[in-house]
Amino acid sequence: MGSFPPYVRELWACSALLQLIALILLFAKGGFRKLPFFTVYVALNLCQVAFLVFVYSIWGSSSPRGTILAWCSECVTLLAQALATTEILKVTLRPYQGIWGLIWRALAFTSTFVVLIVALATRGAWVSAGWFELNRGYHLTFAAAVIACLLLSRYYSVQVPAAYKMILGGFCLYSCTEILIHTVMQSLVKKAFYAYEPIWQSSPTISFIVVLFIWVAALWKPLPIEAREAAPPSDSTYQRLSPEINVRLRELNEKLLRLWKLEARPQ
Amino acid sequence: MNLPLLLLFGFAVLLMLLLAWVLRDPRKFPQPDVDLGFAEDLDRRHVTYFPQVRQSMAAEDSAFLASRASLALTRRVRRERRKIALAYLACLRGDFLKLWRLARVIASMAPQVGAAQELERLQLGLAFSWRYEMVRMKFLLGFAPLPELGSLSGVVSRLSIRLETAMKEVGERAALAARLASSLDGHGLDTP
Repeated sequence: MGSFPPYVRELWACSALLQLIALILLFAKGGFRKLPFFTVYVALNLCQVAFLVFVYSIWGSSSPRGTILAWCSECVTLLAQALATTEILKVTLRPYQGIWGLIWRALAFTSTFVVLIVALATRGAWVSAGWFELNRGYHLTFAAAVIACLLLSRYYSVQVPAAYKMILGGFCLYSCTEILIHTVMQSLVKKAFYAYEPIWQSSPTISFIVVLFIWVAALWKPLPIEAREAAPPSDSTYQRLSPEINVRLRELNEKLLRLWKLEARPQ
Repeated sequence: MNLPLLLLFGFAVLLMLLLAWVLRDPRKFPQPDVDLGFAEDLDRRHVTYFPQVRQSMAAEDSAFLASRASLALTRRVRRERRKIALAYLACLRGDFLKLWRLARVIASMAPQVGAAQELERLQLGLAFSWRYEMVRMKFLLGFAPLPELGSLSGVVSRLSIRLETAMKEVGERAALAARLASSLDGHGLDTP
């Protein structure tokens, strides 16, 4: 830990303090009952700080063992992050079973698509920077999937409570800044990594601190009461009407197309 | 920075922009339960005014006016009529969008949603918006394919009637759900 400059240690301390505040708020306001996975995620992050301080104090930040252990701890928190996000989306969309089913499929599709893009964009670099690429690939997939879900929720006018929106937004913001930092750093590493090392060490922590501020603000008030069922199931209404509506809309589109092509004849 | 890195950078920026847009609080965010009220507006559909609009745009009227009135007046009347046609087209679009949104409300309440159906509707909505702009440009440039507007209105009309019935049904279900939830909250007491 002594290998880090003082300002990095201060940033870590600031981040740990905010995480502790978020955890206390989750327990004090009863949020841990509504979002158990998110609570576990915040707790795990706090444990990770302690773990990394311990690892870096013994093996140093640049030793292979220290690096592997640090990345392994990151994998655990990233898994917890994915679970916490799924939990929030599920809580929000529970009353809308059909939309939730659709979103699940969209998630699977978007994730596969982004994973393929990442694999193509980084092919050949896996041996030299495996952890680095995996981390960025994860954040890219995660951010794309969550934004796709939020877009679908907006399209169907499903109102996501402000607190959940802030938590999800925080996750996405952190992932997006991680991608940007990783990408910029990757191009700089080839030139002069040590010249930019302070930026590399501080920028992810700064972005996480910003996210933590957003979360603390979101958790300040008790989390919203779970949404009830919007309406009793009306599957038959949808099954009956949906194809018909589409036929009519298609018909309307064709009319417009004819207007455009000037093929229309007076009736 | 090489091309893959540039692409990744661009993608990340795009994601951030999308995130900002999606988290932005829409001014009039229609809630599925609350939004049912606008179904009543369908009674005042713009398509019902089509006969008047068509009359005002009739070719015979234009020819009659051109034979009797001055050139300046004829031009002015033509300009006014074009304005009416544009306004009418905009209203038609409004009707289409309302119905399109109603379809989404029905989908949001369904326990099972067909991805293919939803994707098709999304495509149709996008295509409609694009074509609407094209047709509007035609009006602006002076073309007026008015006879076809009649059948266009017919489509919207038929769709509205069908949806009105459906929305009434869905509205009744939503009201029933709200009453049930209210009585559960109040432990059987219906509070105002």
